Amino acid sequence: MAHPQIAVFARLATENSQPVRLLSGQKTRLSRTMHDVRYDEVNDEMLVTNPFARAIMVFRGGADGEEAPIRIIQGSNTMLGDPTRYAGGPDRVAVDAVHDEIFVPDGSRVLVFDRKANGNVAPIRVLEGPDTRMDNEGTLAVDPLNNVIAVAQDTVTAGSAKMAHILIFDRTAKGNAKPRGEIAGPKTEIIRINQLQMHPPKGWIVAAQPGFIDVQKPEGVFIGVWHVSDNGDVPPRWKIGGTAKSVMLKPRGVVLNPKHKEIMVADMRLNSVLTFYFPEIF
Amino acid sequence: MALSATQGERMIRNFNLQAKRFGVLTGSLLGGAALYVLLMGNVAAPELADASKAALRSASGAPQLVAVAPLQAMDGEMCEWMPASAESSLLAALQQDRAQSGAVPARSTASVAIEREPVRQIRDTYPTFSAIAQDARTGDIFMQDENLFGIRVFDRLDNTPPNAAFTEPKRYLGGHNTKLEFNCGLYIDPKTGDIYSVNNDTTDTLVIFEANAKGDVPPDRELRTPHGTYGIAVDEGKQEMYLTVEHTNAIAVFNKYAQGTDKALREIRGLSTHLADPHGVSLDIKNQLILVTNHGNTLEGQNPTYGKFIPPAITVYPMSAKGDIAPLRTIAGAKTMLNWPAHIWVDEGRGEFYVANDADHSILVFGIEDQGDVAPRRMIRGANTQLRNPMGVFVDLQNDELWVSNMGNHRATVYPRTANGNVAPKRVIRSAPQGKIAQAIGNPGAVGYDSKREQVLVPN
Repeated sequence: MAHPQIAVFARLATENSQPVRLLSGQKTRLSRTMHDVRYDEVNDEMLVTNPFARAIMVFRGGADGEEAPIRIIQGSNTMLGDPTRYAGGPDRVAVDAVHDEIFVPDGSRVLVFDRKANGNVAPIRVLEGPDTRMDNEGTLAVDPLNNVIAVAQDTVTAGSAKMAHILIFDRTAKGNAKPRGEIAGPKTEIIRINQLQMHPPKGWIVAAQPGFIDVQKPEGVFIGVWHVSDNGDVPPRWKIGGTAKSVMLKPRGVVLNPKHKEIMVADMRLNSVLTFYFPEIF
Repeated sequence: MALSATQGERMIRNFNLQAKRFGVLTGSLLGGAALYVLLMGNVAAPELADASKAALRSASGAPQLVAVAPLQAMDGEMCEWMPASAESSLLAALQQDRAQSGAVPARSTASVAIEREPVRQIRDTYPTFSAIAQDARTGDIFMQDENLFGIRVFDRLDNTPPNAAFTEPKRYLGGHNTKLEFNCGLYIDPKTGDIYSVNNDTTDTLVIFEANAKGDVPPDRELRTPHGTYGIAVDEGKQEMYLTVEHTNAIAVFNKYAQGTDKALREIRGLSTHLADPHGVSLDIKNQLILVTNHGNTLEGQNPTYGKFIPPAITVYPMSAKGDIAPLRTIAGAKTMLNWPAHIWVDEGRGEFYVANDADHSILVFGIEDQGDVAPRRMIRGANTQLRNPMGVFVDLQNDELWVSNMGNHRATVYPRTANGNVAPKRVIRSAPQGKIAQAIGNPGAVGYDSKREQVLVPN
């Protein structure tokens, strides 16, 4: 937290394993409170955000040490940093290597950039307006096969009357477009969603739900799986809950490893990454 | 030298004969090693490895023993049963996936709850130290642990022997009731010994404990603070407390005894301040100055603002400053060696200040009047120093010692007050085995997977 870095571990790393790579230092332009990291397998690139400097940064896939990004999206034309968003932004990012686009959830809007964009560039599309039902959205994932994006709210405090939702839009939606689906309601058990992932071959949306943001050991945390066709007050099709067996306390990040039928979960309260064998979804 | 055909044929025959003899010898060695392994029964892994080496293992086109490793613990992980009719070609599998993507799988009215242990867990089981401070009354050293969430208290003369796993603290303050979580700033009241601990994220609460607090106890006092506070410094004369705020590029000044939802007395904040992701803060009471370290992440423009990177810097303000005020002076530039400067400490007696230079694994010392692109007047840096991601720094004035907390290697290191260069520490307080490098995972908000290299990406 106090020390910004991206630590890279072997897939089979366990307790007290040493990182195989450490990306840190002034030239990296990393800040703390990075809430997303995406690996683009097609182009062998890694994407992260710097919310304090309102930047999207792209590194070589194998970046190591004090290595500078190869591209940075930042500046007055980018629209990054919805002033209405809690604690500024941008917080998260998603990449579509098939259609060469970068998606950024940014409060009441979604910004879409050319994947190869560099510098002070304007988005190629903006999804924004009252019909979108977007409000303080902070997380997003893209499915280039089923042609949808999933967008969700990531910040809900204890005592809030309104819980978060997951909105599903056409991938190319722009302007004041309506969502094609909204997953919300008591049966969903959604409080707020942090990192989101998609599994295009099966159409799954995989979400990390860490519970209320201001509670150290919140109730009702889980990793939930929905389908891109889901709509309304529907429970997740599968969920791995925060139980004594799973040891999860406050899961904020999730990523999929289809080859080994695994999901990896970043747990902030444990300061750790948990790997679960999860063949049901692959 | 040219060879005749007869000489050439003779050499080839000799070579073939030698190759056959070598083959027989190699085969005998391999067979002997295998026989040894069979006869010995339950042979341990090192012996198998030695036998393999003894057999002069080399590429043969046939299976060979190359390593022995224990099976990893599994929970629910097994090879999937495949029906005899299952398609085995890759193309068929891809077509199946594509077909499935268009179909909507049937759903039940309830979730399938997966009750499963993780097969692996990446975590550091030792504390990592984000800040350090001293109780001037007792000399005790307080270290803020950001990994396991607590404060560890050590005797100032503790010195971990090289062969010891770690040094046990005199006492430990931590647990759910303490509200310590991702704390990164420490201040010990020089008169009462009260412990002030700054929260960087999640709880947004400054917690204050009485001097002898230990265990999982609630704070004696709490103050709701802005999101993203980092550094702390106190003007004991005016009873004012200075906190840096990363998210808003600000310095918030509170009454030292503020609590609950009490508001800041004043703020230094705005584009003119050149505060840019401020971290450490220290006060020069003699010259009435505030010194702040900045990482360089900032905003520019008005309505709307937008992001900008500027070089890391030390910015200096008058203690009476408030609002959108420009710094009196700035230290920044290539000569400064600043690289993610963390906590800072003013040594009024020497007219100097010390900077924990996180990403350069160094301690920089500047003069209080320095400004611009100036080189540090002293620098502790190099392999002998045992510095690794230094975050906290202070000077024990009574004993002329410079203390550093290192986030990257689980230890505090102690140097003479005027140490310079690649100097070994006088003493080390280590909280993990020798050579153990910290994972330094802190509040992981996301995780990525590099499928090409089969590696897990963990950002802080």
